Amino acid sequence: MNSALWVSKTGLSAMDKQLNVVANNLANVSTTAFKKDRAVFEDLMYKAVRAPGGLSAQNAELPSGLQLGTGVKVGATQKDFSNGDYNMTDRQLDVAIQGKGFLQVLQPDGTIAYTRDGSLQLNSQGQIATSGGLVVEPGIQIDPDVNEIMIAEDGIVSVRKNGEADAQQVGAINLAGFINPTGLNSAGQNLFTETNASGPPQVGVPGTDSLGTIAQGMLEASNVNSIEELVNMITTQRAYEMNSKVIASADGMMSFAIQQL
Amino acid sequence: MDKALYLAMSGGVQTMNAQTIHANNLANVNTTGFRSDFEQARSMQVYGDYYPSRAYAMTENPATRYTQGDMIQTGRNLDIAIAGDGFIAVYDESGQEAYTRAGDLQINAAGQLVTGRGLPVAGVGGPIFLPPIDNINITEDGSISIVPQGGANNEVAVLNQIKLVNPDKQNLRKQEDGLIHTRDGQPLEVDPNVKLASGFIEGSNVNAVEEMTHIMNLARRFEMNVKMMDTIRNNADSSARILQRSS
Repeated sequence: MNSALWVSKTGLSAMDKQLNVVANNLANVSTTAFKKDRAVFEDLMYKAVRAPGGLSAQNAELPSGLQLGTGVKVGATQKDFSNGDYNMTDRQLDVAIQGKGFLQVLQPDGTIAYTRDGSLQLNSQGQIATSGGLVVEPGIQIDPDVNEIMIAEDGIVSVRKNGEADAQQVGAINLAGFINPTGLNSAGQNLFTETNASGPPQVGVPGTDSLGTIAQGMLEASNVNSIEELVNMITTQRAYEMNSKVIASADGMMSFAIQQL
Repeated sequence: MDKALYLAMSGGVQTMNAQTIHANNLANVNTTGFRSDFEQARSMQVYGDYYPSRAYAMTENPATRYTQGDMIQTGRNLDIAIAGDGFIAVYDESGQEAYTRAGDLQINAAGQLVTGRGLPVAGVGGPIFLPPIDNINITEDGSISIVPQGGANNEVAVLNQIKLVNPDKQNLRKQEDGLIHTRDGQPLEVDPNVKLASGFIEGSNVNAVEEMTHIMNLARRFEMNVKMMDTIRNNADSSARILQRSS
């Protein structure tokens, strides 16, 4: 069959994946601390039909060969970990990380996941947890008679109880950093998990080792730039249409041959 | 049976090959740093001690187009695009030096600077390894300056330099891996005049309208070849009818 068909098919499926990525970015334009993805396109292998420099006849060398490309693929999706905008919320349990670190949360299976979504809550036991209900690691207990919670830039959590003038320290939030955050696995629900590509987490006190500081009463917005995504959507759609035109053209060739012969 | 049928058939097959080259260009219309391939057909005379009426068509891709693609601003520190002529040196699967225009770089878990495809980028004297960093900047000449992890913002260290080359295009060829290689297999010298822009990536240099036009043109050319085959068959039928014994 006509190999242009298969080549254009790879074009269609790559554009389709890219549109998926764009749609997901746009869908998460208001997700707290969402990090946008980018599809990485790469051309596929070339099939050498005739190598250049081959002999066409005795003493006659071909100056150029024939290499047929086999199309395109989306080799990877890259997360862009640049910071989103910071919005003031003035809520005591909202924290934003101004830097590269991640909050650590305990998953139900006992492993640690990482998130930058700092819209924290208290669960029924009074532990600080994410809005998804996962307890922040190391666990911090807030008693029911607490009036005010203060989270310092270096992650120290202190509380002031009813009728007391002095604050007491009840725990500290640590941050984890990765040498290659792009290599983290996106687990959904604003969570990331460690992989071989991300390297092991380097846990430390906020404000050290470029982990970033914690800002109380703020939330990090998504870093999706909606205009950029819309432009990507347009180019993707047009590329898709052009590739489907090629399929139609290649199909027309075959159908003509079948009818005529 | 007229052998012209084979000539027309080879024309059709070669047209399909040409179609594939353009389809590949068009499939890569959004591929970072992709360089489109030219396609041409050459007539191949069949040599021998007989009447020289056999000239088959042969499709080939004589060259790759090295014009610049669109510069797309991303604002990402590790995205680089070459402004004007030149190439970024990388190491291919076998460790040989190859060249590319795709500058969507990343740092892998080993701290190595690699392209979006995962190929190591060539620096001064080999691949580029980076310590844990706070911040990274790639300047116009390919120098990589970093702020080490935990360092103050004024503690900038220049670590390495991305190897940028600007060879004679005659000596370049795209190979099966899609990377640009030198024809003579010799690694190239650094060219200090190649300029990088950081925060940009270069799009593909495929001219979509031109490719579409070629594809339409080739589709018609294929149909002509098929029409020829049809005509040749009709001729053969007519000759057969004339030569039939009328009973």
